[in-house]
This record gives sequence, structure tokens and C-alpha cells, in this order.
Amino acid sequence: MDIESRQVLEMGYGGAERITMNMGPQHPSSHGVFRAILTLEGETVIAIDAVIGYLHRCHEKLGESLTYTQYPSIASKTDYVAAMTSELAYVRAAETIGKIDVPRRAQYVRVIAAELQRVASHCVWLGTWCLDMGGALGGGATVFLYCIREREDVLDLFEALTGARLLYGLHQVGGVRYDIPAGWGQQVRATVDKIDRRIDEFEEMLESNAFFMARTQGVGVASRELAQEVGISGPLLRGSGVNYDIRRAEPYSSYGDFDFKVPVETAGDCFARYRVRMVEFRESIKIVRQALDGLPEGPISSRPGVKSVGQVRIPKGEAYARVEGARGEVGCYLIADGGAKPYRMKWRGASFSNLAILPHIIPGHKVADVVAIMGSVDPVFGEVDR
Amino acid sequence: MPSAIYSFIVGFIVLNAIIGMVTYVTLLERKFAARMQSRIGPYRVGPHGLLQPIADALKLMMKEDIVPRLADRRVYNLAPVVFLIPCMLIFATLPFAPGLGVADLNIGILFFLAVSAMEIVGLFMGGWGSNNKYALLSVMRAVNQIISYDLPFVFAAMVPVLLTGSLKLSDIAAAQPDVLHWFVFYPVIGQLAFVAYIVATLAAENRVPFDILEAESELVAGFRVEYSGMKFALIQLGEYAHVIATSFLGALLFLGAWDGPGSGSSATLGVFYFLLKAMFVFLLVTWIRWSFVRIRVDQILAISWKLLLPATLVLLMATAVVVAWNGPSLG
Amino acid sequence: MGPALDRRLGASPLGNRQLGQSFWPDLGNLLSAVTRAMWITLLNLFRKPVTVHYPDVKRVYPDRFRGVLALTYDKETAEENCIGCRLCEYICPPQVIKVEMLKTEKRNFAKTFTLELYACEFCELCVQVCPTDAIIMMKSFDLATGDRRELLLDKDRLHTIGLQFDPSWATGNGLRDMQTPPKAPAAEHAKPAAEPAKPAPEQVKAEGKAAKVEGNAE
Repeated sequence: MDIESRQVLEMGYGGAERITMNMGPQHPSSHGVFRAILTLEGETVIAIDAVIGYLHRCHEKLGESLTYTQYPSIASKTDYVAAMTSELAYVRAAETIGKIDVPRRAQYVRVIAAELQRVASHCVWLGTWCLDMGGALGGGATVFLYCIREREDVLDLFEALTGARLLYGLHQVGGVRYDIPAGWGQQVRATVDKIDRRIDEFEEMLESNAFFMARTQGVGVASRELAQEVGISGPLLRGSGVNYDIRRAEPYSSYGDFDFKVPVETAGDCFARYRVRMVEFRESIKIVRQALDGLPEGPISSRPGVKSVGQVRIPKGEAYARVEGARGEVGCYLIADGGAKPYRMKWRGASFSNLAILPHIIPGHKVADVVAIMGSVDPVFGEVDR
Repeated sequence: MPSAIYSFIVGFIVLNAIIGMVTYVTLLERKFAARMQSRIGPYRVGPHGLLQPIADALKLMMKEDIVPRLADRRVYNLAPVVFLIPCMLIFATLPFAPGLGVADLNIGILFFLAVSAMEIVGLFMGGWGSNNKYALLSVMRAVNQIISYDLPFVFAAMVPVLLTGSLKLSDIAAAQPDVLHWFVFYPVIGQLAFVAYIVATLAAENRVPFDILEAESELVAGFRVEYSGMKFALIQLGEYAHVIATSFLGALLFLGAWDGPGSGSSATLGVFYFLLKAMFVFLLVTWIRWSFVRIRVDQILAISWKLLLPATLVLLMATAVVVAWNGPSLG
Repeated sequence: MGPALDRRLGASPLGNRQLGQSFWPDLGNLLSAVTRAMWITLLNLFRKPVTVHYPDVKRVYPDRFRGVLALTYDKETAEENCIGCRLCEYICPPQVIKVEMLKTEKRNFAKTFTLELYACEFCELCVQVCPTDAIIMMKSFDLATGDRRELLLDKDRLHTIGLQFDPSWATGNGLRDMQTPPKAPAAEHAKPAAEPAKPAPEQVKAEGKAAKVEGNAE
């Protein structure tokens, strides 16, 4: 029995007229190219069928044809909103197989970059979610522009560090490519303080707003069992009551040195996921401050700078490295065969697994809730389609 | 005969003035919204963007007019016109200064409210004729919403009518001779009625937070999704004309219409103040629009039937009691 | 300032604002929603806009800005720096660089050097590998054009760009110096060797069969 018939029977709808509506790949709120075929009865969604693959760019094949020196720059392009997460997963996999140590300064720089990246990614999440809920010509656009304004400051920091604003190429096998320039620490602290204050404003604007609460509370509830069964990760999982964060479960890149809380909410609805991410904003800022305070001196890479394309050779082995990205667990499974290119590379995209929850939590809600739920799931289709 | 020509000329002038005003009100809204979002609005076209509305109008005129093959042609083509006519017609009853108006009917406000509700027909024609599920869905929600909010709208607008004792708009304006007598400053009842009027205005014109009609992120422009070119321009014209008309009505009912320092002697100054107050109401509506997320359709209906309707009904009855106690301002 | 983490189901630190409870709380919630959100927007109305009036006003680009690519001349001898070694061609991930070498008695040059800027990723890997600091990036991205063929940069155009804009900080040797660990061995450093580390064949044999390794703390 297909999922639609099963859900129709489960929910007891009978006989009323049903229409099939397409929230097509070109849609202002599909967060990328995503096609959702909705079956509606009146305003209620009965079934959703998701079609993906519009953004497939053969990353895994590229991983086989590009060397370990070339691919980290390309890895950014899977999750282009939080680019450094994907790079980190790839280089960590290579370093694990090759048993390559990463100097502590490089680890701290990686942590600072990853947490700032999380702040920037959550800015995009909040802005686009409110944009979806409020309309491009309405209050949603206002919150969107405020968030983008804060994100621009974080991107200025990245620009001072690497030279690029969106897709960085910061990581290399063995460490990072760029060291912290003079005065960057002060710049980071000033920006981070400002964002801390502005987040208070956003929270004030949204949480005291009965409209916002009415649209997010009780909407898209994912129970704890469902969350664990379907295999989602990240803020979705923590919003459903499962206390799991890779930074705590298997600390990588010196995360064990830092003191931060992992927010967990039990409600499982859109509002719970929103609260988790808002707390993550603040915790990321805390980690950045601690990392800057404790930044050790030393080299930024354990291997010499790249001089030729086949310089890095990883011995035979396989490894799966995962990092806690802004959207969940981003993993890279690498099979190395001793040469300069991997034999096989597989991406575990956080959004790809997170999308699996949609057919379970959307049916029964109205069309307007579909966008609210999709926004709280926060997919990025570069990760989904790779 | 001369009076017919006279009315024709006056009507012609008013119509053109409305169209001119609508285009520049779009610019005002864009710049105001931009400032609230830490950016500048249109800036390059003309000094500080002053020629932007003209550029927009020219662009819409030059666009190709695409009609979907399976659309119901007559309904589809007539819908913008049927939508626009009531929005323009309501300006006929507005007196811009004592004695200066197209037709100062005895039932002025009744005509205004009744005709402004007729635009629903045009809306529905547009949604149906487009042969598009998005359009149909949005327009069904919109009809639901406008019908639900017309009642609180009428009740809120009735409060100044009760306080005046006449349906004629110039009488209501004349009953507010100076600032202290503006109906918005009437103890308790005035403020509540003004707030209810603003909320009902937002809903009756499909403005955020009640804009499920267009719901850009869900239904991609709602019933306007299949319209392009000049027909789209007519729909936009109708929408903004309606917003401005209800702003004018709000200024007239609650903010004293043409009252202001020196307006007793000079009629142009009175018109100027009226315009200023209407723009204030418009900016208030715009300010609300750019601050909120949208609410879902069932919540909108819940607010209307469970909250706003009882509230305005009670308000109206309270006003009736007050008026029975004090007596109306006019016989 | 942050809310406490253990809270009741769905409650918010700013109070429980729900619609649909009953008349007076609903009314109160609506009014407070209105005033608070509108207050924030009003505040922003009076803040200065963050718009940069490009192209009248240009932003100050940071030192490391990765802009358009260019070829350089030697400062002392005014000769082209590029020796046509093709290292940049090999490392470029989207393969946009094509070089032909020209051999002379004293040194090598690049006979032709084409770079397809429309496909370039601006990843700076070509700059990283250049042994003579010949190819660098500029602090400008201003090459927008209406014809894609103008973005197929040949050697002359690349040299012209090099003289036209401000160069960015990164050069091949500069980047490699920043990344290469110092020679003196210390406790935390792994392999301080200067030559590219090849995996020793014994290491591959010692691994034996591929062992599945989970990501672990470094």
C-alpha cells in the first residue's frame, strides 16, 4: 500500500475531494530546488511526496577524480551555507586514515571557524524561516534583512581570514591554510558581542509575538521515538528530546577543551527546534570566546604547504569522519588506496537524512504549516543532492 | 446639463489624482519599509528614486500579456476591471474639503462600506478564471477572510456614525471641529474603535498579517499569479487605491478629516491636512505590515469571529448607551 | 543573557503567549504582540542604513581578498615571473588554466597562458603552488562584462590586470611559509619534513587489510 493510501485510511478521511498540488522546484520557500507533491483535502495536507535531485552535481565522482589537495575547496559546495563543516569532515576522514596529527593551533582555528559558521548558518535559517512564514513583502522580510545584516558581519570576519565570503577552502589535510591575521581577535570579539545583543532583539520580536507562537507551537511534532527511528540529526533531534551532539559524544578537534551546553527540548514541534537553535547561537558565541582566549601558539599545519597536486598521499584504509554541522551530522566516508586520490568517497548529508521526516510530520497540517515545518527542518539542497 | 459636465470633470480629476497618488504611495511604502529594514529603498531612478513609480508603470505597460490557454477568457479578462471599479468608486463619496467632493451622499458611509465589499467578486473571478490551483486556493481563503472581517469593519466604522448621528461623511467630518473633538480622542470608545478599525482594515485589504490571499511564500502571489502586464497593473492599482481609500476614511472618521490649524479659512489647507492624516493612517498600516509574520487561515478566522466581532459588537452597544445618555452631536 | 534550558513543554522565557485560550488573555496577547514587534521595527527605522552605495562608494577590501587573477613581472628585472611549469594547471580543480611552456637557454617562459575566469572557483590553489609567485590574486573583482569571451583571459590580459589593480597579500611562497611547520621538531609536531611526505611503502604493507576506523579525537 502506498504511503498516501495508508495515511488516508489512518486519518479517517473518506470520500472528500482531494487535489494534488505541486510545490514545485521553483518556489519562493522551497529552500532550494525541491519538489513537494502535496495531496490536499481542502486546506489539509494528506500526503507529501518529495522529489529531489535537481541540484545533483556528482560530488562523489568528483571526489574520486580530484586529489586530497584539490577537493577541500570543492567540499564547501555541498552545504554552501555552512561550508567549512563539509571541508572539515573530508579532511578529518583523510587525516584519520593517514594517522596525521593536527597541531593544536590549527584545531582551535578550526573550532573558531566552525562555530562562527554555525552562527552565520543559523542567521540564514532564521531569516529564511521568517521570510517563509511572513511573506517576502511583509514582516518576514524584515527579520530576514536583520539576520542577513548580522551575517554580513560574520562574513567580513571570514573574508579577513581567508579572503572569501561564502566558499572558503580553509582546511587542508594536516591543518588549515590560513593563519589568523593581526587584529582579527578583536574584530571577532566585537562582532560576536554585537550579534549577542541583536539576538536578544530577534528573540524579543518573535517570542513575544502571539502570531509567531501560534504558527510554530504544536506544529510539526516529531516524537522522540520517531526522531530516533527515522535517523535525523542535529537541532531536529535535539528538539525532540534526544540529547545527542557529536561534539559531546565523540569530541573532535579539541572540542573537549571547551565548556558549552547542548540545548535539548522535549516538545518536538517547530518552536522547540527554534529554541534549540537560538540557544545554539549563544553557545557558539561562548565557544568562540573561549577558543580565542585559549588560542595556543604553533604551526597551523603539520604538513608543508601544498606545492604540487599529488603531494598528499594517504595510505590504504577507510574511515568515516563526522562533524556536528549546523544542520546535523555531516559525514564523509573515505576509502583510500595509497595514491593521491581516494578510491571512493561518500557524503552523508545532514539535510538528506533530515528530509526523511517530512512524510511523517506534515500530513494532517494545513498548507501554511508545510512552509513552517520545512523552514524548521532547514534543508540545504546542496547537501541533499550533492 | 452644466452640472453633469461639472460632475464629469470633477470625477475625471479625482480619478486621475487617485492614480497619481497610488503610484507615489507605492514609492512611499517602499522607502518607509526599507528604512525599517536598515536599507534604502529605490535610490537610483531619479533623485532618491522619485521616478521609480513611473519606471514601474512603463515596464508594466510594455510587458507581454500572457493568457493561459485553459483559462476562462471572459472571466479572466474581466476580473481586474471588476476588481478595480469598486475600489475607484468609493472615492466618489469622500469629501476632501467642506463641499469639495464628487458626490456627498446622504448614505455616504453605507455606500462606501457596501461598495468596498464588492471587490470580492472581482477577486473570485480572477482566481477562478486563472484555472490555477494556487489561485483558486488563495482566493477561497480570501473570500472567507474578507467576509469574516467585513462585519467588524462595519461595526468599527459605525462608532463615529453613532457619535455623530448621521451617515453623511461630511457631517461626520464636521462633527470634529477641533483636535479635542476628534473621535480618536473620545474617552475609551474612540481609541478602541480606532484600533478595531485598523485591524479590520488590514484584514479587509489582505495586508500582512492577514495576507493569506497572496501569501508569497506559499502561494506565490495568490490570485495574481497568472496575471502579467497591464492587467497586473490594474490589480495593483485597485489594491493600493483601496488601501488609500480606507486610510482616507479612517482619517475622516477618527482623525478629524480636514481639521487643523488654519483650515477653517482655507480649503486647500484642509485638503492638505486630510492628506497628511490619511498618510499617517497608511503608514501605520504599513508599519504593522512590515513587523509581523503571517497567521494561518484558521487562526485568522478564529480571531475574527471569536475576538474581533464580539469586541466590536460590545463597543457599538457601549457607544449606543453613551449616545443615548448624552444625545448625538447633530439632530 | 540566555533562557534556562530546562523548561516546560513549549514555554518561552518571555511568557506563554498563545492564541485561542479565551477572550481577555487573547486580547492582551494580541496587543502586546503588536506593541513589542512594532517597537523593534520603529527602533530600526531610526538606525542608519547599512547600505554601501556601490559603485559610488567602494568597500575597503581586506588584505587577503581573493579577487581576479593576474600574472606578475619581477620587480628587479621586469621579466615575467612565470616559468611555464604548469603546476597551476595541474592543481586547478575545474581545470581552467592552460599553459604551454617555451624553453630558452637561460630560463623557461610560458608561451601561452589562458585562464577561463568564468569557470574559475577563486580557490587560490594556483597561487598556493606557484614556485615563482607569478600568479596572484587582486583586491578587486570588477570584471563584469556582457560578453563571456572577454573573460577568457590570455597572458597579455593577465599581465594587464596585474598592473591595473592592487594585489592581494597571498603569494605562493607567502602561503607556503605560513602553512609549513617550522623545522625544529617539538612534542606536538608530527612530520616537520620539508619534502612532500610520501607514505612509506612499509607503512602500506603494515596496514594489511583495510581496517574500519571510526572518527576519533585527534
